[in-house]
Amino acid sequence: MNGIDVNCLWGSWPFRKLYKNRFEDLLKIHSETGIGGGYVSCMNSIFYNDPFEGEADLHEILQGSGAYRQLLTVNPTLPAYESDVEKGVERFGVKGVRIYPGYHNYRLDDPCMEGLCALLRKYRLPLMLTMRLEDERLDYLYLPRRIAVPDELLKFAGSVRDIPILIMNLRYGEILSCEDAIRNQPNLYIDTSGIKDPVASLEEITKHIGDRKILYGSQYPLNALKSTLYEVTMAEIPRESKDRILYRNADDFFHS
Amino acid sequence: MVKLLIDMHAHLWDGHFEENKRQILTVCESYGVSKVLVSSLGGYYPDEEEIARLNRATHQFLREEPSLIEGYCYVNPGNPDAPDVLKKGIEEYGMSGMKLWVATFCDDPRVFPLIERCIDYKVPVLIHTFYKAVGQLPYESLGSNVAALAARYPEAKLLMAHMGADCLRELKPIQPYPNVSVDTSGSIFRRDDIDYAKKLLGADRIVFGTDMPGISFLLNYGQIEEADLTPDEKKAVFGGNALRLLKRS
Repeated sequence: MNGIDVNCLWGSWPFRKLYKNRFEDLLKIHSETGIGGGYVSCMNSIFYNDPFEGEADLHEILQGSGAYRQLLTVNPTLPAYESDVEKGVERFGVKGVRIYPGYHNYRLDDPCMEGLCALLRKYRLPLMLTMRLEDERLDYLYLPRRIAVPDELLKFAGSVRDIPILIMNLRYGEILSCEDAIRNQPNLYIDTSGIKDPVASLEEITKHIGDRKILYGSQYPLNALKSTLYEVTMAEIPRESKDRILYRNADDFFHS
Repeated sequence: MVKLLIDMHAHLWDGHFEENKRQILTVCESYGVSKVLVSSLGGYYPDEEEIARLNRATHQFLREEPSLIEGYCYVNPGNPDAPDVLKKGIEEYGMSGMKLWVATFCDDPRVFPLIERCIDYKVPVLIHTFYKAVGQLPYESLGSNVAALAARYPEAKLLMAHMGADCLRELKPIQPYPNVSVDTSGSIFRRDDIDYAKKLLGADRIVFGTDMPGISFLLNYGQIEEADLTPDEKKAVFGGNALRLLKRS
């Protein structure tokens, strides 16, 4: 297997100590589990007042790492974030922009999203939309705003049909509530990091949306990587579907 | 998969008994599960009739799959017949433990006589324990409730479910009480939780559970596989510790 993990995190998480958050920890578990590369986001950037400082740190960490690519964390409510995107592309060669509307407290129909989408078009970058990072029941000190599913999410998705969008950490029930859009709208994809509820979740999800719109994402080190990985590798779905989810769909998404 | 794999926390849900049985049996067959401890649940505050129906469903499953399925007797301590329900569950239905959910706190005085009977029977008590930053139910037990019960009954075999959900705040209260073990079941699968539980409680107080079929078996299995446990500790978590809890002699 030569899987691709589209949802890797690096850095610190302010609400609890992380035991395995060095880049070497990520490389080790990927190597052990047959994952050959990934798309990495910086957790520090979510909370830094100037997110680009975190991005510079991540860029340094990823130097010479081969199959690991940087996703730029952006808070589009901050002034002059546009220059961060420009510098991220030019200096760091970022492969996408990742947003956290729940943590940065804006709605998907906020005018700032129009400006961000215009930048993404200009630089031909995909958008990673993070629904959440923790189960809401375990939030500590800070309760991120919840993105309403399906209404708010699908209204936004319906208005942006020309930018590849990867929805990260969408839960099982939420996926099914958006199944028509995910299945039929060519630019919409989901990752696997939020799939945790009933037994045989992936079997059921693939029945509803097929196997071409799902990308493997672990959200390691916040999540146990083997939990999300076994959900794919040990699922009762065809080998070809597993290959699509584990790496082929990511190739398509990032090279479309 | 490991040779001895015991899931100490699974359910049949009211209105879905046959579907849930099929789901559990499929998981057992696919992943080599040795034994599953099942309780049947429905509403948060079940009356006597509902409790009787739920326990009959569990009993039926035990009879159908005697080598694979064991059961917890589900009681609502607020119902006057709770002691009789427990007696019937253990003595007539051959169940292996008692299940407390969210009808009362686990350290409510109405629970005490039931715990005393479980001590006599030498059976474990599975206690739903779940801290929620949002949506906490009125009588949903926390680690502090389990600790109070453990202090009152040091000879009781208490199994705190879900590691309290937020183990970072719910394990400390039970740390001093060696008669409390925790199960790993549920939808929380943070990378470091098992390592943290091992650090606070020791691996011999951690028991594998899933909460299937409502929650994924593989999610919980992967979380244990990834934890920093020695091979012996992993064996204990996946089955050995459960056997110790279930031992009646």
